Amino acid sequence: MSLYASSVTLRTVPGGHQTCLVSAGIGSCPNVMANGLMLAGTSSKTGVRLCICLSIHSFNFYFVLFCFRVAGEAHVFGTMLVAYGYIYPLQNHKKLVMSNDTSLYRFQVKPPFTLCVLLFSAIYLAKRNIRKKGMLEPYEQVHYNHLHEWLNHKWDFIVMQATEQYKAGKERKKADRVVFDCQERAYWIVNRPPHFVHTVVQYAGLRNPDIEALWPPLVLLLCLCRLVKYITTYKNHDAFLAPCLPSNPWQTDNDSYWTLNMRRVDVPTKMRVERWSFSLFELLSDLRGRDDFKIFLKKEFSGENLAFWEAAEELKWGTASSMSTKAETIFKTFLAPGAPRWINIDGRTMGLTVKGLEHPHRYVLEAAQTHVFLLMKKDTFFRYLKSPVYKDIQKKARNPEPHNFRLFNSNLSKPAGAKFSEPRCGHSSNHPLAAGGGGESKGCCCLCSSRCQGHDEQNRQEEVKSNTVALDIMRHIKYQHK
Amino acid sequence: MSRWRRSVDELTARRQQAECERAQEALSRVTSCFQQLTASLGSSADCSFLRDEINQTRVLAHRICSGLSRRLVRLLADGDSSVSGVEDRRLSERLWVVFLSALENFLFDLHKARDLIEQFPLTQRSDRRSLVSTGCIDGMVGVAARVALVQVPWLTLEEEPSPDLTNHIAELEAMLSEMQQRVSVAFWSVEATQPAWAEARGEPEELDGSLEDLMEVEVASSSKKKMAACCQLPCCGLGCIG
Repeated sequence: MSLYASSVTLRTVPGGHQTCLVSAGIGSCPNVMANGLMLAGTSSKTGVRLCICLSIHSFNFYFVLFCFRVAGEAHVFGTMLVAYGYIYPLQNHKKLVMSNDTSLYRFQVKPPFTLCVLLFSAIYLAKRNIRKKGMLEPYEQVHYNHLHEWLNHKWDFIVMQATEQYKAGKERKKADRVVFDCQERAYWIVNRPPHFVHTVVQYAGLRNPDIEALWPPLVLLLCLCRLVKYITTYKNHDAFLAPCLPSNPWQTDNDSYWTLNMRRVDVPTKMRVERWSFSLFELLSDLRGRDDFKIFLKKEFSGENLAFWEAAEELKWGTASSMSTKAETIFKTFLAPGAPRWINIDGRTMGLTVKGLEHPHRYVLEAAQTHVFLLMKKDTFFRYLKSPVYKDIQKKARNPEPHNFRLFNSNLSKPAGAKFSEPRCGHSSNHPLAAGGGGESKGCCCLCSSRCQGHDEQNRQEEVKSNTVALDIMRHIKYQHK
Repeated sequence: MSRWRRSVDELTARRQQAECERAQEALSRVTSCFQQLTASLGSSADCSFLRDEINQTRVLAHRICSGLSRRLVRLLADGDSSVSGVEDRRLSERLWVVFLSALENFLFDLHKARDLIEQFPLTQRSDRRSLVSTGCIDGMVGVAARVALVQVPWLTLEEEPSPDLTNHIAELEAMLSEMQQRVSVAFWSVEATQPAWAEARGEPEELDGSLEDLMEVEVASSSKKKMAACCQLPCCGLGCIG
């Protein structure tokens, strides 16, 4: 991974509790500054932004972005920049922190993405091994051994390339070589590739590390697919994305939503019932759903699974003093041979659980509980969804009408044939404090400014104005010191 | 008759393998020097000399690569069953794997070089102002000299027109995919010849101190040099700090 010493050397200037980074060595001509950022922008993908806090000694505002008034915050932010690899120190490599003294820092480079990360990491480690004659840090040794095993087929190349790179590096002048080495070291400390664990593919004897370097993106792809699926399923149930029926109690001060969705309501709402069908976890988390499920299981005479699951939950969340008694009752009821509600789990899990029950702790039933949960999920849950019990409750479930409040003293006349349009300040017609009836409204009639878009806009504009004032001041100071 | 023929073939194969090994070492040297040279692209040490050197290094690497790929394909595609024993075949496969890894490595550096040259074209004098001043004091003469010392076995035999950077990249990528299609070598069956940690026991050299020690000395001297470089800019209103 070839890197190069980039841009300017920065130095920290201690100012009591406020650290400030001063860039030395660039002129004030805007070209250089712009390109300093641009280089960092293309390489580090976010553009390097430095924190500078105002201290009376610092004059350099080229990279002003933040002004820290809280003591120590600048130091923390600076350390984060170093730790995440945007800047690297030219001294003190053991720890990537920003220290509050006159030490030097430089911008780091983020090379383009490549799948050969492992290869480059191995070359770097071999090079360092040559340089240090085997005296690597312990974590480096571990990584080296891991890579030697994982990239064994390319090892000859790695050693050859590392030797050549080392010798080529020696041809440079000492100062540049040192900076280059510092940069590389800091880069690899931050961007160490993760260890790949043995995989099934490897056991089959078909190891191909180049493909396995693709696993992180593949895993990411799988996670994204799952996320998309989750979003499409829960889209209508999210209170931020879809309107709450009948109305959001926090907005309208009407708590019918809560009363309709109480724990022991006879007739649940349609949204609630729909939510039960998403997964067994949803069904069991909603206690009303759990009751419904219990009714179904009673009809099927297979209620012991759910009962065991509930008992295990009770054990998990219960008090420590009651644990041993609970464990005993559970054993007698569910697990002992010939128990009245004996659950059907495989022999291995049963053996483990029974053995664990000799010294019961909170999670002793975890394995059995998971097994039972999976049994219910794979089999009983789908039967429940198709059962008459569920279909019945679906039919019975009610769908409350959305509220439509009107201002009691609204005297806005409705023009004939007016459409039910939104008032000018952007309230939806369901907003309780909106001008009722739609049509033209004369300005914002809302009484609560925090929910009004018009008021929000005003607040935002004020904030923008105050920020630009701050920026202007700083720019003024900079030009004064040119 | 066939035994004589076989021994002759074996000898040729072995000679070719030795040639490929030497070429591989040369390629390694050239690519590592190329990497060092491209590290200075876009910095204050960037100049036409550097660009020329980079070009020459690239051309040399191109010659080595094309010759090596041809020879390796010839070694491995033909000699499946006939000549080589198991040992020879294993050696050829190792050379193959090493060469492909070297190609990937070199391709990465070429991509980087192309991006940097695109961002910092030095066609006019005014372009020099866009260079980032890294305080780099090296003119890369040593590295360039190292490249010049590289010798390839077939350098004098084959003369081909050398491509420019973009075509070079495209050519190498095509070469890589073509090679992987023509010969199927199981990467994982190749084993390393050297044990782990062997390279640390290399030639005894002067003891380089740790980076921290080196930097201690360097900060005093190099910072002065860097300050000197910076103060030459007339518009710098900072004054020397520290």
